[in-house]
Amino acid sequence: MFGLPPELSSAGFGFDTSMFMLTGYLFAGLVGIIVGAIALGLLTLPAFFVILWGADRVAGLLASATGWFPIKLVLIMFRGLRRNMLRTSLTYLAIFVLTLVLCLIYAVLWMIGKATTEKEANFKAIVTHKTTIPSQMPPGYYEEFKRICIEEVPKVYAQNHPGEPPLVIRESDIMSWSFVLGTTDKVNQRKENMVFLFALEPDKVLTMMDGLDDLTGEEHEMLNKACDIMKQNERAIVMSKSRLKSLNMEVGQKIKLHGVNYPGLTWELEIIGTLPEGKYEGVSFMNKSYLLRSLEAYPRDREANPQGLTHPMMEKCINLIWVRLPNKEAFEILSGMVNDRARFNKVPIKLETASSGIGTWLGGFKDIFWGIKYILVPAMIGIMSLVVANALSISVRERRTEMAVLKVLGFQPRHVMFLVLGEALLVGLMGGAMSTFLAWRLLGHFKFQIMFFGAFFVPAIAMLYGTLLGMAVALAGSIVPAWTAKDVKVAEVFARVA
Amino acid sequence: MARPLVQVRNLHKSFTRGTESIHVLRDLTLDVAEGEFLALMGPSGSGKTTLLNLIAGLDQPTAGTIIVGDNVISEMSESELARWRTRHVGFVFQFYYLLPVLTAYENVELPLLLLPLTKEQRRKQVENALALVNLSDRMDHRPGQLSGGQQQRVGIARAMVTDPELIVADEPTGDLDTKSADEILRLMEILCEQLNKTIIMVTHDPKAAARAQRTLHLEKGQLVLDTATANVM
Repeated sequence: MFGLPPELSSAGFGFDTSMFMLTGYLFAGLVGIIVGAIALGLLTLPAFFVILWGADRVAGLLASATGWFPIKLVLIMFRGLRRNMLRTSLTYLAIFVLTLVLCLIYAVLWMIGKATTEKEANFKAIVTHKTTIPSQMPPGYYEEFKRICIEEVPKVYAQNHPGEPPLVIRESDIMSWSFVLGTTDKVNQRKENMVFLFALEPDKVLTMMDGLDDLTGEEHEMLNKACDIMKQNERAIVMSKSRLKSLNMEVGQKIKLHGVNYPGLTWELEIIGTLPEGKYEGVSFMNKSYLLRSLEAYPRDREANPQGLTHPMMEKCINLIWVRLPNKEAFEILSGMVNDRARFNKVPIKLETASSGIGTWLGGFKDIFWGIKYILVPAMIGIMSLVVANALSISVRERRTEMAVLKVLGFQPRHVMFLVLGEALLVGLMGGAMSTFLAWRLLGHFKFQIMFFGAFFVPAIAMLYGTLLGMAVALAGSIVPAWTAKDVKVAEVFARVA
Repeated sequence: MARPLVQVRNLHKSFTRGTESIHVLRDLTLDVAEGEFLALMGPSGSGKTTLLNLIAGLDQPTAGTIIVGDNVISEMSESELARWRTRHVGFVFQFYYLLPVLTAYENVELPLLLLPLTKEQRRKQVENALALVNLSDRMDHRPGQLSGGQQQRVGIARAMVTDPELIVADEPTGDLDTKSADEILRLMEILCEQLNKTIIMVTHDPKAAARAQRTLHLEKGQLVLDTATANVM
């Protein structure tokens, strides 16, 4: 799979098929979102009409209480929306689907933007192979890296800033990840019996892992407790609830895994807890020391390794190294040291900020994101504007006589234009607001996760943007019909009617 | 003849269809007295409705002058005409043209929304207008809940609610049965006789025209007969 070790990819095609799979997933995902949005839109139609009716009543009360002309116009708009329920429903549905889908796309892009934006202080940096994705580094690199972070970088910093407070990088600020794929059925390996784990240092989970800042007190306490157990019992693992459920297992059970990307290794593990809902979905955490110990023991395992060879992954078992740095200068100093081939001479590595690292990783998807941003989104806005324009044009054509009557009674062309624009804006406002509110609530509730970006949620500001988008599309779709309505020639309309 | 409310002088109206110029009204001159009930008759295409639209300020003449009261409406812009219509002209249409989503009360109130009146003043005027057409008990009904005759009575209430001096009616009985038509014509007579409204009514129906004080016949855009004076023009 793209972004994971080659051992995890489906081999045999002579090229990486994962991009095709990813495109397929994205396309299927988009179709699924649109179908889901339509279903949600249909489900919310009664609520839409109830709100419309309520707003109509309020406008009616306000109009009769104040007698204010603009309120009376708004009242006429509300009544106008009830004139053809099917058309109003379709306009609402078009705006609802558009804003919901774009809201989700915006949320994804927002999360990616956030993940790839640099912080000025206390930011994370990542060590990877210089040219190969995913990285495979020897364990010795991690030890050396920790040493230079804790000892050498502060020294150089102190030389550059004499008299200033010392720069401190602690052991707890550095962490490594090793990707482990195991199966419960060595012979019949299938997706269903696979378990994907991060082998890591349990005491750094809560301080170094992304996306765990927003845990509830209870979730934090449970994970902390699980990590404590993992420290004491290196066979202990925590697993995401969804994976546990799909394996049909429970906390407290033991599980034997055979290495897929670590062939010949077998681990006897004990599930001691679950990851919080929506965090690292599909992933499990294991103690890195167990992985290292099993790699070290491999040459002595005469059954699996009769020749007593070192395991082929022994010098490749570190996939990522994370470090939290206090400032940009520390990053520059450390980067220079990491680039020093004398220190790291087995495989070339590089240091980049986590955001830059994620950006590099996302580079493989850049055409897809470009397409989403500059083709899909404008196309959707254009298509939905046309749908709205079409519905309103039919409405205006049907009501030409009515608009002519209003003009006869003394309504100015701008009043007639305002009525058409207003009807569209009301639907746009309600469709946009309802869809973004639902997206916000639903995603907030289900806590979907995209890879290791943490729980996927719709930012609160999207509620405003979604509403404005709904209104903007409605406005774009209603300008031409409204202009046509404004220019209705009374005499011509009545001449045709006669 | 009483002081003319409407003065039409050398009125000409033509339309262009493709390269062809169609002369609908030709050099037409007429006066309509204040408080007069005038019927306009003539075959289809004779220019009756066009003349009515021009007098009511719904269209602009190609040439000539139209004066209603003290206003030269043939020189007004579209928005000036819209403002003028609100205060000075009431319209009654053959197909009523009430807004289906509004109640009878709200339909009658529509023209008043454009005038600087308080809510109470509006309410009083709407109730008076509906009482005059005997529909006080139907003010909360939507047009779809009213008969054709009742809808036309709402139309008349809407036309007179602003207390205009001129009421124009285009085939007001054309879509009604005999009984309802008679009621409508009776109402128009009352408006004219008791409230001194000037009414110009386009009709194809000689019986309806007979209820007017004067009937003008148009043919090919020209006045050909004035029945009040029985003069062939």
